[in-house]
Amino acid sequence: MFRRVLIANRGEIAVRIIAACRELGIETVAIHSEADRSCLHVELADRAVCVGGPYPSSSYLNITSVIAAAEITGADAIHPGYGFLAENARFAEIVAECGLTFIGPSAAAIRLMGNKSEARRAVQASGVPVLPGSDGPVTGRNEALELAEVIGYPVILKASSGGGGRGMRLAADSRELRGAFDAARMEAEKAFGDPTVYLEKYLVRPRHIEFQVLADGHGRVIHLGERECSIQRRHQKLMEEAPSPALTAELRSTMGAAAIAAARAAAYVNAGTVEFLLSAEGGFYFMEMNTRIQVEHPVTEMVTNVDLVREQLVIAAGERMTVPKRKSLASNGHAIELRINAEDPETFAPSPGTIRHLVLPGGPGVRVDTHLYAGYTVPPYYDSLLAKLVVHGRDRDEAIVRARRALDMLRIEGVKTSISLHRKILDEDDFQRGDLDTHFMERFLVRG
Amino acid sequence: MFKFQEICELIRLVGESGIAAVEVEHAGSRLRIEGPPRTVIMEAPAVAGVGPAVPVTRPASVVVSGTTSASPSPGVSAEAPETEDEAGLHFVTSPIVGTFYRAPSPDADPYVKVGDSVTKGQVLCIVEAMKLMNEIESDMSGTIVKVLSDNAQPVEFGQRLFAIRPA
Repeated sequence: MFRRVLIANRGEIAVRIIAACRELGIETVAIHSEADRSCLHVELADRAVCVGGPYPSSSYLNITSVIAAAEITGADAIHPGYGFLAENARFAEIVAECGLTFIGPSAAAIRLMGNKSEARRAVQASGVPVLPGSDGPVTGRNEALELAEVIGYPVILKASSGGGGRGMRLAADSRELRGAFDAARMEAEKAFGDPTVYLEKYLVRPRHIEFQVLADGHGRVIHLGERECSIQRRHQKLMEEAPSPALTAELRSTMGAAAIAAARAAAYVNAGTVEFLLSAEGGFYFMEMNTRIQVEHPVTEMVTNVDLVREQLVIAAGERMTVPKRKSLASNGHAIELRINAEDPETFAPSPGTIRHLVLPGGPGVRVDTHLYAGYTVPPYYDSLLAKLVVHGRDRDEAIVRARRALDMLRIEGVKTSISLHRKILDEDDFQRGDLDTHFMERFLVRG
Repeated sequence: MFKFQEICELIRLVGESGIAAVEVEHAGSRLRIEGPPRTVIMEAPAVAGVGPAVPVTRPASVVVSGTTSASPSPGVSAEAPETEDEAGLHFVTSPIVGTFYRAPSPDADPYVKVGDSVTKGQVLCIVEAMKLMNEIESDMSGTIVKVLSDNAQPVEFGQRLFAIRPA
């Protein structure tokens, strides 16, 4: 096992990784920007190094500085968390070249899954269903139009190097597609420095269902069930739950096997997530694989009792994963995660500022992953996630009741938060029935 | 929180430079010095269960607290002799994380030593990061008063490396 791990991240996930390291007896090194001197991960880690200025490009994204920090502190491995350098294949490569261990998959797996059209081709070759569409980039407008005739409208154009919902264009008919093609290429070029786009059939009311996978270097690849992440706004997830209200045991087993096949297609080792779209008719299609620990990993932890970050460390150290072998990883109860962001619940504008008052809920079935403390100033330079409120109940109804009471006990004063928005979502009939799809928030916000 | 001598140093610098105001943020505290008339306002972060601000230091004539402002007399630094050292000095800080080396190779002479005159742009030391030797140049002409890190020691981004008395 590692002696000392550098955490190339900040905020709640840095704190989460420190917790896992501490339980394994591993020393931790925090890195921070000048704006994050008073961040909780800096205080909790055994050592801390300032690596740059407030802007991520100067600090958390600065590969040279992150590696230098690992070198001067004698760290033997780097955990990238999520965001920042987590899915940067070049970074993973450099870490290895410097004789350190990258706690995550190989650079090759990151690179393959980072290229959406390559990833699609690779998993399809392994028998994983993909949305009907171009097998790789579409280079010309006419090619796009011909293909759309074959697979049927509506269709969506996506940036090959994209993600997070940027560089996507929807077309309901050939006239719209004609206009969307150049716009999508231009947007992709601007956002990702790569104009390559691909085309797919667009599902009208799909659910976002993702499978957590774990793979170790000894050939074992397992899935830990799904997370339903259909409640999103502009492709940013707001609330996630496990299990999905839509999956039967049979569908879970089929989709889980596909997730494992996708991971194997990339010779994947470590924790990863395979994202699918599930149509209203029950068809499921590979969307992408996230080659990192995800924000919403705690819902899986709550229903499986597996510490995913601990497994990441164990696997990266070359050991076998410690998840007991079971016939099926039947999940235990139901978990819901609410992302509490520092943002205006009406306009979604970020709301940095100083936390004047903080009360975190506890009691049965409640977990809060956060880096907040009273007096902490939320800087304007990073994402707005303040806390993840995760609840667990024997079934979905109990989890919803628990989520509501935990929200009522949560007090964050000093910044605007999404607490009131979550309360409204929990009260929504469609939500309570489990009738979800990725357009849930659009309809919800229109209704007001 | 700012150290008392840092505040004094800033007051002196503002006075000497004749600029209207300087605002510095560090570790959650904000310090603003305007001159003239000179005013010191320090906003401390609110701490749960404590008042909105905590007085940090309470020297004879400068009150540093939440919204209290005071006009320090010109004699302020004379009352705090420990600030004499740093007053008027310029600090060269490390632009990167890495290992600090005073000389280009283990058996070579250091680039500079205390008492040396340096010119702006002159190499003062090396900070090594990822096997790359980054020559750190002086951003001011003057005399080296202090070398603030030992040879072959790790340094952080923004860490003070040299104190220079400007020429």
